[in-house]
Amino acid sequence: MSASPISAALSPTAKPGFESGSFERVTHVDFFIDLVIIGLSVGMVYALVALGISLIYSGLDIVHFAHGEIYMIGAFIGLTLFQKTGLPYVPVLLLAVILTGFIGILIERVFYRRLTSQGGGYTVAGMGMVIVGFGMSIVLQNVAFLIWGPKPFPFPVPFGRPLEVGNLALPMSYVWIVVTALVLMLVLNLVLKKTMLGLAIRAVAHNKDIAYLSGVNVPLMISAIFGIACALGAAAGVLIAPINYVQVQMGIGVLIKAFAAAIVGGFGSLPGAVLGGLMVGVTESLGAGFISGTYKDIYAFILLILVLMVKPSGILGVAAKVKA
Amino acid sequence: MTTSGPMLEIKDLVGGYGSVQILNGASLKVDRGQIVALLGGNGTGKSTLLKATSGLIKPWRGAIVFDGERIDGLRPDTIVRRGLVQVTQGKEAFPGMTVEENLRLGAYVVGDRAKTARALERVYSYFPVLKEKRQQLSGTLSGGQLQMVCIGRGLMSSPKMIMLDEPSAALAPQIVMEIFRTIHRITKDGMTVLMVEQNVRMALLLASYGYVIKDGVIHIEGPADKMIHDDNVRLSYLGGTVANREARL
Repeated sequence: MSASPISAALSPTAKPGFESGSFERVTHVDFFIDLVIIGLSVGMVYALVALGISLIYSGLDIVHFAHGEIYMIGAFIGLTLFQKTGLPYVPVLLLAVILTGFIGILIERVFYRRLTSQGGGYTVAGMGMVIVGFGMSIVLQNVAFLIWGPKPFPFPVPFGRPLEVGNLALPMSYVWIVVTALVLMLVLNLVLKKTMLGLAIRAVAHNKDIAYLSGVNVPLMISAIFGIACALGAAAGVLIAPINYVQVQMGIGVLIKAFAAAIVGGFGSLPGAVLGGLMVGVTESLGAGFISGTYKDIYAFILLILVLMVKPSGILGVAAKVKA
Repeated sequence: MTTSGPMLEIKDLVGGYGSVQILNGASLKVDRGQIVALLGGNGTGKSTLLKATSGLIKPWRGAIVFDGERIDGLRPDTIVRRGLVQVTQGKEAFPGMTVEENLRLGAYVVGDRAKTARALERVYSYFPVLKEKRQQLSGTLSGGQLQMVCIGRGLMSSPKMIMLDEPSAALAPQIVMEIFRTIHRITKDGMTVLMVEQNVRMALLLASYGYVIKDGVIHIEGPADKMIHDDNVRLSYLGGTVANREARL
């Protein structure tokens, strides 16, 4: 029972690329490329969670500590839909994403709004929001525990044969993660850059008063931002589920990695979240493969420390928002 | 919808921030098609009055009637939908958006491509320089151009009335002249304007009626051409030495 996706990814049973006696053929270069591909796909999952955290930070001025649990709830909803309805993977993914998005909106409206409307960031209400986030994390874990129990569930999806590229056999589950995550990021980018909704979201993220005076329904946009962030988290959960187990504690590890990713890329920057996620994923995968899998959780934080030593605002980060 | 009566009427407005009371019963009236200047020194409640009118802060007591309907206590975006737009002080555009994105955001309540395109063309006709720079990020603009973006954004929803908070602040004299000329043109095209200004002389030359606010109440009011020669206006506004007064006016 492993908390992190990478250990499951590196265990021989979960990685079809090393199966069927082909191990002798695998050279160091192939091993390296394999690790990078695993790292990129797991990194995509971190990136989706980090995107949500960054979106919420820039839109609501809060750091959402329950985002790992949103990812977990999303994975469980996906699993339940998959088992109960027998729908194919893609509709299950979409349904889980939409449902979790609405659960997120509900959580924001009922529990967070009272605090965020008093101001976020470094205000007293902002501090309260940090504590409420931790509380929500515990509550969601326990709700999931009551509904689904403590057991880890497999999420077996028949993705078909590995994709053969030259000497490499790419497991389809990894290809799926990368492709789906890329599509989601592209859609998010298009929505933010090309639509009035996206324009309004960017306006609210930058300055709520001016957004209001431009006629934007700011409370509605805040719900939309939170919903989109939770939907991305759920997508990450459903994407990682087939190569990992679905279990109540799965959110904690991912939250920490996603925070590392968001900070490496520059907190609040959306391209930074994606870049940071991929860097954390690849670093972790290479470290686990070439150095030692025992300390796999360390590599992300070594990367974090190194990046912060060179550029404290993160790679694509701008100077921190100053709040009174 | 009434077509007679004042465009905006504020009656005995009381309000402030937190527990600090700034407005102590201010009343004013803006007639249709007029430019009205609201003058006053720092901390007298000019900006607070505008914020209470545009809905950014909720007034504690009093009434705000816009175009025949009460708007006090409504959300800012609802007030924009009713046709009353505030352009804030400090030339606050969105630096990460292009000039055109900034302007389009102002048409958020319009929701009609053709109407938005027409509004955009009209804003470009008022500020031709913005058309040249429309694909540029607004973070790269000069102060005057930023002010044009902000006023232009306010015009994009084709409001009935616009409230400008110190449009001349921190701008070079030629730019101030240009902005004031454009405000005059906008009013000629049927807009009603309430303008908060520190630049008393310029504001009174442009406006047809003026109010001086002091300690959160209207202290002096009258036709602008009379006020411009009124020593009381200068004194109550500046409250300083003669030299200081001469320097400012």
